[in-house]
Amino acid sequence: MAKDLNIALVRVDSRLVHGQILEAWVPFIKAKCIIVVNDKVAADPFLETVIKMAVPSDMEVIISSIDDFVQNYTFMHGHGKRTIVLFGSIADACNAYERGFHFDKLNIGNVHNNEYKVCCSSSVFLCDEEISTLENLLKKAGVFVEVQRVPKGRAVNIKEALKDFWHVK
Amino acid sequence: MFGTLITTHGNLGNELIKSAEIIKGPLENTMHICIDQTKNVEDLTKEINSAIKKLDKGKGVLILTDLFGGTPSNISLSFMKEGKVEVLTGVNLPMVLKLSEAKEDMTLRDFACLIKNSGEKNIMLASEILSKKANR
Repeated sequence: MAKDLNIALVRVDSRLVHGQILEAWVPFIKAKCIIVVNDKVAADPFLETVIKMAVPSDMEVIISSIDDFVQNYTFMHGHGKRTIVLFGSIADACNAYERGFHFDKLNIGNVHNNEYKVCCSSSVFLCDEEISTLENLLKKAGVFVEVQRVPKGRAVNIKEALKDFWHVK
Repeated sequence: MFGTLITTHGNLGNELIKSAEIIKGPLENTMHICIDQTKNVEDLTKEINSAIKKLDKGKGVLILTDLFGGTPSNISLSFMKEGKVEVLTGVNLPMVLKLSEAKEDMTLRDFACLIKNSGEKNIMLASEILSKKANR
């Protein structure tokens, strides 16, 4: 279905909808819609209900599996409701990108990998696989990737954070 | 006796316990788990799970969290179980102070309602109260 939504923020956040989103990003973006793209939540009515209850009632909430999201939604850019799209992992965001959900900018908020190689900020810990996935997104697709927890927090360009790890300069 | 677990963003819960103890003395069977940006959801889930087990002396555990929709609350909700675990959000000092007033014949749900009422009743706008008195 074609949705008249203006994608204002695409974010990777392992916590999906939580305090930083509701209290910091929603007012900053003046978002009127949140799309949670996550297979686990889409398959669990309880998790879905909790998210829908947490979001202010004047906002639209769409919860979708990755398959459903890339197959069934097309977006109008530049007009319509200002929208935040949330992915639970870097792999999910890249998967959606490769299958047609194109974005120019990706925000990385919370990624905690216990086997991490690089700590980009106090809430972003990336493993090898994630580093190379991001490298592809950046080099091949030209997406601007930024690590930033909350709007008033420091933003770090991923190129800067990972400069010692890129295979190709 | 009911167990109480307070989970909050940062150290808020711990400070609430300390403040309540200044006023009322030691709180029994109460624990705090601090949730910060460096911990991942799986580890936090395990931490909360083991705290619930430690706190449950047979009558169940009340989890107090700061913000509905926040990570402490989101994780806690996954443990909700009738008669075993209740989750109450928006924790404040009056709620923590009320914890020691549980009665023997209360169910976990009754206990949770008692704490909820105490939290709600103690939010007041002083100027509203004053203007009501003046209009009497």
